[in-house]
Parts: sequence; C-alpha cells; structure tokens
Amino acid sequence: MHEWSVADAVIRTVIDWADGKKIKVKKVVLGVPSFSFLDVEILKEAFDMMKKDSVLDEAELEVKFKDPKFKCKNCGKEFSLNEVKDQIDSVKSEFGEEYPMHFMPALAPSFIKCPYCGSHDIILESQDMTIDEIQVEENGTVKTVSQG
Amino acid sequence: MEPLRQLAKDKLAGKKVYAVMSAKGGVGKSVISSLLALTMGGTTLIDLDIHTMAIPKLFGLEGKLHEVSKNGIEPFEIKTTKIVSLSGIVKDNYVILPGGNQSSIMESLIAYSHIDTNTVIFDLPPGLGDEILVLERITDFTPIVVTTPSKISKKVVDYLMRYLRERGKEPKILVNLAYMDCDGKVVKPFGEYEGFGLPIDPSIEEYIGRIQDYEGAVKEKLKEFIQSL
Repeated sequence: MHEWSVADAVIRTVIDWADGKKIKVKKVVLGVPSFSFLDVEILKEAFDMMKKDSVLDEAELEVKFKDPKFKCKNCGKEFSLNEVKDQIDSVKSEFGEEYPMHFMPALAPSFIKCPYCGSHDIILESQDMTIDEIQVEENGTVKTVSQG
Repeated sequence: MEPLRQLAKDKLAGKKVYAVMSAKGGVGKSVISSLLALTMGGTTLIDLDIHTMAIPKLFGLEGKLHEVSKNGIEPFEIKTTKIVSLSGIVKDNYVILPGGNQSSIMESLIAYSHIDTNTVIFDLPPGLGDEILVLERITDFTPIVVTTPSKISKKVVDYLMRYLRERGKEPKILVNLAYMDCDGKVVKPFGEYEGFGLPIDPSIEEYIGRIQDYEGAVKEKLKEFIQSL
C-alpha cells in the first residue's frame, strides 16, 4: 500500500518540475534502493491510476533497483547487501510486508550491523529514492532529461 | 530530484504548522506538544524526535504499529488528535542513525503520513539540527520555543532564538515550570522569566501513558496561550 504514496510523490514531483510547460512526459525512470523491496506491480498500477489528466497522462514508469554499498565507519570495511541478507530477512520476518526499511531505507543503520565488527556506524550509498530520468516530448521532439 | 521532499511539501501546503522546539533537552517539549494538540483539537501531531519517541509513551501507544493505506501512514487517533511517530514503524526497536539519515527519515515520515487536519504540530528533538533544516525546506512554520526558568536553560535556548530570528521567524516562548499557584498566590521559585509562563503541576506525572485524560492547570493555561497564537 505504501507504493501508492511513492507513486503520488513521483507524480507530484514531475508535475512540479514540468511547471505548466506544454510538454508530454513519455517516461519516468525511478531509482529505488533494492532492500526497500517495493512491489513494482502495485507501484505501476498506482502510477497509472494517479497520472490521469496530467502532464504524465501518457507516461510509462520504469523502476530501477539500486543495490546499496555499505561501509562501516568503525572498522573501515566495505560489504554488500548479500553479506547482510540474513539480518534483513530477520527484520522482514519480525515485521512482515510493511517492514521498516520498506518505508524508509535510511533506517538501515538501525537494523543492520557491520558483519565484521558488529557496529551500527554504517554509511550507505544509493539509499534515497530518486527520479533519475524523464523522457519528454516537446514540439514533436522526444528528449531525455537526466536528473541529479 | 527528490520526490519525498515534494510530497512532504504538498502534504503541509495550506496548513497551519507549529513546531514545538527547544535547544535544551528535558524542558517538557513532548508534554507541551501533546497538550497543545489535545487542547486545540482537530490536529495532527507528528513526533519528529526519532530517537526518544516520547509522544507514543505519553499517549499509551507503545508497541503499536501504524496501519498503512493508499493514503500512506494512517495516524493513531485519540479523541480528535491524530498522532504519527516513527515508533509506529519500528515498534520498540532503538533507532541509531548517522546525521544524513536522520533528515531523510524525518522527511519520509512527513511525506508518507496521511494528514487530513488543517493544523499540524511537530514535536522536535532538542538541539539545532536536521529537524529545523528539514522543516525549513518544506514549510513556513510557527516556532513555539519551550524553556524553563533556569538560567542554563534560558542561556542555551538563546542560541535557538537568535537563529530563528535571523531566519525571519517570530518565536513564541513558553516557559514551562514557571510558577506555582498557591491558593491564588503566584510563587515563582526560579525567579522572573520572559515569555508565557506555565504552572508547575506535579499531578501531570500521573497522566504519563494517558495524557489525553489530563485536564489540569497546565492545560487550562495553554488554552490562554492558544488564544495568543
């Protein structure tokens, strides 16, 4: 259900960005952290329902999952999602579908410990949900706008 | 592009937003936020103190999880007050986070909340940190600064006052534990103070876990304060 809020956020952001210009948005590429386990099907369904009568009327949503890179600030070691899979699975089994990192990937350091030294002092890259690309049609020309 | 920030902005657009804050810890922000929300009625109270999460403890909501609908995180409802707290996402787990993650969590909490009241009250953690910057990015809030009459509290809170004024805000000052009402005679045990004084009422302690039932002197005085907002 949380996917509906994500779709809402994407649509509002693109509408705000388009700022009343006479463009048609053809595609939006959304980057989401892989360990949020967003349900792409629900997300797309919500996007398609909510985009109607807006600049996004004809837009398709593409979701790209980003695997985070973890680095422990305590011992300096880097590790991958795979190395903390057991920890993530245990949080998922405690909370079920609506588990904390599904909502807020930035909560990861509270639930994930460094597999080498056990510290929570972890930094992650690619933890934010971002709109990475928007494809628009303006005066009959299709162009891709990359977003920071 | 940060879609959550846009959603958070939109959720607060057109609403009256109050931020209960203090540079000093332990001055009673959460109790005052809760009583303000209850006294005003028809408010959404959002607990931005993502580490201590005192609001759910005050209302007896510990261990309860928020429901999630197509509208987002559904607040807990007590009387006409709607309450959102990170504790409704993480249950009774501790929350330890590097700085950058804290603002991301606060922004997400606001963005995903289902807010359908015209007034929103934020209970902020102590200090001058991410919480103020997050709010500044997304809304034009009215600061309610809480202090006590102690010298150290006033000195520390002065940092926050200076900052807020530099940012063009007109903070309202609430002085908690300012005086005792002894059969109509006002006694100020800690001396004079500047701001709107709230009385000392030890009976509040009995209402921790059921603050919604408190109808004592502090709440009465807050009614007057609300008129001045």
